[in-house]
Parts: sequence; C-alpha cells; structure tokens
Amino acid sequence: MNLGVQHDMLRSELEEIVGASHISTQESDRLVYATDWFWLPQMWLDRGERPRTPDFIVHPGSASEVSEVLKIANSYRIPVVPWGGGSGSQGGALPLFGGIVLDTKRLDRIVDIDEISLTVTAQAGINGSQLEWALNERGLTLPHYPASANCATLGGYLAPRGSGTVSTKYGKAEDLVLSMEVVLPTGEVIRTPGVPQHAAGPDFFRLFLGSEGTLGVITEATMQVDYLPETRLFRALLFDDLSRALEAGRLLMTRRLEPTVIRIYDPRSTASRVKTILGHEYEGAYMVLGFDGDADIATLQERKALEICTRLGAEDLGREPGESWWEHRYDFYYPPQNLKLPWMYGTTETVSTYDRIERIYYAEKGAVESEYAAWNVDFIGHFSHWFHWGAMLYSRFIIRNPPEDAREAIRLHNRVWNTAMTAVLENGGMINEHHGIGLKLSRFMRRQYGAAWPMLEAIKRALDPNGIMNPGKVGFGPGTGVER
Amino acid sequence: MNERALATLENCRYCLMCRHVDPLGLITRRETLTPHGIALVAVSEQRGLIDWNEEMIGVLYSEVDAGVAQANCVTDQPFSEAVALVRAELVASRLAPAAAYELEERFRRHASPFGEAPVETAKGQAETALFVGDEAHHLWPASVGAACTLLGALGESPVPISRGRSSGFLASSLGLIETARTQAKATLEELDATGAGRLVVLSPGDHFTLSQLYTGRLGLDWPAGVEIVDLATLLADGLRAGRLAFTPALEDGAYAYVDPTHAARTPERFEAPRSLLRSLMPTEPVELFWHRQRAHPVGSTALQFTHPELADALTRARLEDARSRGAEVLFCEDPGSLAQLCRHAAAHNLAVRGLYETLATHLKP
Repeated sequence: MNLGVQHDMLRSELEEIVGASHISTQESDRLVYATDWFWLPQMWLDRGERPRTPDFIVHPGSASEVSEVLKIANSYRIPVVPWGGGSGSQGGALPLFGGIVLDTKRLDRIVDIDEISLTVTAQAGINGSQLEWALNERGLTLPHYPASANCATLGGYLAPRGSGTVSTKYGKAEDLVLSMEVVLPTGEVIRTPGVPQHAAGPDFFRLFLGSEGTLGVITEATMQVDYLPETRLFRALLFDDLSRALEAGRLLMTRRLEPTVIRIYDPRSTASRVKTILGHEYEGAYMVLGFDGDADIATLQERKALEICTRLGAEDLGREPGESWWEHRYDFYYPPQNLKLPWMYGTTETVSTYDRIERIYYAEKGAVESEYAAWNVDFIGHFSHWFHWGAMLYSRFIIRNPPEDAREAIRLHNRVWNTAMTAVLENGGMINEHHGIGLKLSRFMRRQYGAAWPMLEAIKRALDPNGIMNPGKVGFGPGTGVER
Repeated sequence: MNERALATLENCRYCLMCRHVDPLGLITRRETLTPHGIALVAVSEQRGLIDWNEEMIGVLYSEVDAGVAQANCVTDQPFSEAVALVRAELVASRLAPAAAYELEERFRRHASPFGEAPVETAKGQAETALFVGDEAHHLWPASVGAACTLLGALGESPVPISRGRSSGFLASSLGLIETARTQAKATLEELDATGAGRLVVLSPGDHFTLSQLYTGRLGLDWPAGVEIVDLATLLADGLRAGRLAFTPALEDGAYAYVDPTHAARTPERFEAPRSLLRSLMPTEPVELFWHRQRAHPVGSTALQFTHPELADALTRARLEDARSRGAEVLFCEDPGSLAQLCRHAAAHNLAVRGLYETLATHLKP
C-alpha cells in the first residue's frame, strides 16, 4: 500500500506507543518479514520476484501497546498482520496488502507457573522451546511438540489450532489452553474465563482459536501442563497393508490405550522418506508407536498395543527404529532432507472419522496422481494425529520439475490444491487439521462451511468493522473484512 | 558467491530451527538478525532483490560467528563457515564495514586490536606450551600467571606463546581470512619452535579456534603429534585424580559459572569448570538459564567493533540472566568474556571473578 505522506505521520504515532527502537522500516526487515514458511512466497523470492512487503514492523511490549497500535491502524484503515515465529506454512503471516506486521516476540514473559493446578501463564510471543526449558526446570512440560517448536511462539501454537507430535495423547494446542488475553481489532483488551469447561453460556472464546489473527491478537494464554514423563517408550512395526495398520491405530484409540504417538507412513513414504531419513529399508506401512508416563503403566499399554498390532499381522521391528524416529523426527522437515525449492510441494493434510479417512486417502491420492501424472507428481502420506473418533492424514504432493516461470508455477500449484481439496471435501474430510487456513486455503472456506459461512462473516464484521486484521486470510477479504 | 557458502545459505534461508538459541534474535526480536534472516538477505542479493548497501552489510556482520546456532543446528549446516566466506568476498570487494578494515590495519601493525605493545615471542623449549593470545595478554593478564601457577602445581612448566597476538578467530570471523592465516601461521611457527607436544588453552574460544578453525576455515595443517588441551579440563582431571586440591573460598554469596563465548562449541568441557568451582565453594553453583549448550556469547568478540550496541546488549542480557537467577558472584575463565562482563557488572550489582586466579589463590600447597 502506498502510504505517501501518511508514512512518517503514522510512524511518528507508532513511535509514541512502542518507542522508535521497536519500529522498523528498513529494507532488510521488510524483505525478511515478507515471507513465512508457505511455499508460494518462498518460491516467489526464489525466482527473483519482488514480494509485497510490510510498511512497518512493530514490536509491541504489552497488550496495551498492541491495543494502541490497533486503534491507530483502525483510524488510518491500515492492515495489521500479527506475527509470531513466522513458521506458518499456509501464508497466514504474509503482509498481502502491506501495512503493519505486528511481531509479538517482545511479549515473551512467563507470568506464572502454578504447580498446584499444573498451569503456566505466559505472554503469547514466548518461544516454544524457551517456554519448555523453563517448565522442564520444574519437572513440567507443555506437551505440545510441533516440528516448529524451536521457532514458533505460544500465540502461534494457538492461533492456527496447531498439533504437536504427542497430540494423540495430550491433545492439540487448543485442548491445552484454559484461557487467553486477546486484544480485539478495535483495541479492547479482553480475557476469556479462567477455565474452559463450564456452562456459563456459549463457548465463544474458542472463536480466537483458528482465527489466525483475523479476529484479534492473542497476547497471553494460560496453558495446562503435565509432569515430565518418567519414561518414554518407542518402537516400530511394519504392516504389509495400510488398511490393517489403520485398523490397528483405530483399535488402540477406541480401546483407550493412550498412545503418545501413532504414526503410520504409507508404503510410498516408507520406501522414500523413512528410508532416506531414518535409513530403514522396508516395504509396507511403517508404524511408530509411543507410550509415556509411569514406566509400569506405559509398559503395560505398550504390551497390549503390540498384541493388537501383531494380531493384525504386524512385524515388531523393535525399539531402535522407534527411538531413532523420535531422535530424528524433525529431520523430515528441515534441511537438507526437507521438501525444498526448487521443487513444488504442499501438505494437503486433512482429518476425518475412521469410517472415511482411508477412503479420503485413496481418493486424494488417485485424483492427484492421475491428474498430474504428466508432472511426475509424487504423493506421500502419513497418519499422525489420532483421536477417539478418527485420524489425521498428513498427505503431501511433490513435483520435482515445476514450471520455471513463477506465475505458471503458482497456477499449477493452485490446480493441484484444487484437486486435492475437492477430493477431501467430496469425501467428507476437513480442509485442514493443524496447519491452519492462512492464504493458502482461504478460497476453500465457503465450500467447507456452506450455509454456516455467513455466520462467521457476520462475526468478523462485528469484531473488525474496518477489516484491518490480517486481510486475505481465513476466507476473509480485505477492506470491509469479508469481501473477496 | 562461493558455491559452498551458497549451498549452506540456501539451506538456512528458510530454516528457523536455531531460533530458540539464537542470541541476537533473542535480544533484538528481529527475524532479520537470525541465521534465517541473514541467509535470506545473502541469497536475495544473489537473486538481484537487494544490493550490498550499508544496511544489508550491517545485517551480514551482525552475528559474529553464530556459534550457538551452529552448535544447536538440527542438521549440522556449516552456517558460520558460509557467512565467513561471504564476508571474505565483501572484504575483497572493499564492501565490508569500515571497522573491518580498521581492524585489519591494527592486526597488521600490532597483531591485536587490544594493545599496541609488540608480540612477546616464546623463549626456550618445553614439553608444554600455553597459548596466551591477545585477550589474555592485554585484557586479563592475571589469568596467564594463574594458569602457570596451576600448571606448575601439576608439575608442568609451560612456555607461553602468542603473547599479545590474536589467535586469528576475530580476523576470520570478519572475513579477513588472509590476516587470520598470517596470525595462525605465526602461532604455529612459535609453537613449533618450542618443541612442545602439548598446547594448553585457556578458553573454549581458543580451543575451538586452534582445534577446528585452523584446519577447517583456514585450511592449515595442525602439527603432527601436538595435542591441544583445555586448561579447565586438565585441572578438573587433576582434581579428580587427587593431584590438585584447593582450600575453601570465603565467598558466601550465591555464585554462578558463566559459560563463556564459544562454550556451546565445546560441549565436552561443560562440567570441568563447574567441578572446579564445587571443590572451592561451599554451595552448588546457580545455573544461568542460558547455560551449557545454549550458552549465549557475552559480546566479547567482533561485535565490539562492528556493532558495539549489540555487544553491550548481549553482555547485559547475560548479567540480567545471572541476577534473575539470584547470583551475586560470577566466575568465568575466558579473558575476553571476563573483560566484557566486568565493564557492565557493577550496574547489575554483580561481582566478576576470574576462575583461574581464584583457583590459584586457593591452591593447597
């Protein structure tokens, strides 16, 4: 956005709030804050194309400073894009229309650790690993271990409804939150009730979970924590057949054996990713199984799980491959083993009930592989976040020789996404389980919610009348907040 | 751009996995001043998206050597080496910050930015040499005498070498690779002249420089048959074997050991200084939040010259960490770190003590 003479006027007003040293308009900062972890803007930069950059990067130090910044942004109708660790893969932190990137990392204080109720209250900009270290010193853990923990913030855990590696036992980030402080788009600072389970009216505070900064800025949260487990047990198993592996997973969950981890790699992932990264060469569906907690209970749970798996034909590969997976679990996502440019790739993850999840997998795989066969598309997947009622499919497509022209690459990328999401929606899946919507999936929100979508639009209009908050994301357009 | 450097920076430009330990990212909260941001800036120059102007070059020089980030890299990317290579290209193109060229001149004239006295070359031969360098010689000379006393208690009579000469680390991290090689070669020649089969170093920084940087970044051959030994480790071994003993110190306040700059690069020695302190002090040391593998630098290296405000911010952050953990007295053995900590310690109501001097003072006869 061309702010012209407003630029210095606005900067001066922002300086009065946060101080001159906490605002940047430097070219280097504007470049670095122009992209998050979404393939599309990274590809854009990779091809030497100029990205849309923010006009200001502002680092507020308190909720009241956030509030004042939002009031100014409202008065000038300036877009505000909340920024945590910048590790989102959906383009949720992209400054599509310029304006203010609101980097929350100065909000990094641990307010309180309650060792009676087992909760931690911390500001939303605190780094995930740093928060974890502080808890570990007291024998506690926030059992949310996403691959992005080293860079993501607490607010970034919550805003897109993230899942971590051990979510199968401990729940998603949204299941761990008791309450939040949120600055509304118009600047009011609110605090949600102190506990999440009650009957004092509708559960409206959950609106901010998954809002990705479009309905306000999370500035503080109280999270449930756990004691560090006495033991963590891992092992790996091999199934000839993906269906049997999925059935094993279903039985472990529905019989409430409380696995920490069930991760089932489809045969293609087993033959490629597991082989390359873990060095294990197998054919079939590779399953990693984890249990934690008190040693005697975890051992018993593991034994019963093994009985179920072996009854379904699994070969027990022992502890070492499971432990090595735990040790190297992040290697899948970081250089040099990650999916990376110049490849085209996307994680078309979804979630559904047990009766549908396998069908979704084959429908999506079939559609993507057949429609983009000319591009030698590679479709891989694993099932990694499990619930009592269903499982999450972490499916990915990879095109190793995409079009060189950036605009052509975007077209192809969007087409593959259309194909994948259509297969998901037509078979009863959700368009996303834990990465969020961002820019990437924004255009699918109406289809996902159908007749319910206008309700969310109305809420957006009521909370953000000027549409300043993270425009272009989660299905909301720029300007009035809902136009697209 | 150098192909090796480019390959690493391409890997790092969108990797955020060292953010949790990155010192400058933590104190500035700027994405740009993290390995990810620096790598993105560097590769963007390659793609014609930016020019090497003063601002961008300032970014490239903002992380001294990114040792903590590299020590914690989940996939072992040689980020520090890549950045040093890019800086070397900037130096060659006369695009580096003015401070780099000023330092180059000071290295040429005095072999150190910290003093103007000529380097005191080693006299005589011995089985053991002690690497002194310029920081110990000019900034914290008491550590050298204390080290000799302690080594004497172990039956060693070391010949001090490189008294007043930089190890070459500082020059190499600024991209002054030839200057660094000159310094390193001078050190190796002096070492050779002593006939020593063992070189004792005072700090993790010197250990890293002599054992890794000389052969890796500078491409030099380490003399065959010469072992590098860390003094704190040697003393801790001596203590454990009953060859050394100390009288209890009288300090009764809470104390902490400050893992010095470069500590994260030498994890094998984390325990040695702590065990030495335990033998001396009546209570257990307080651990800083930023300790051992995640220990931040204290602002004692190149940032002092290129970005003094960032260097001071790093120092204050370490001191604030110590205060928040309840420490009153800080111990450290690295001369450069000690000098930098001392500059700001009083403002944080902290006392700073040299580990080696304290040990030497309390050596049991």
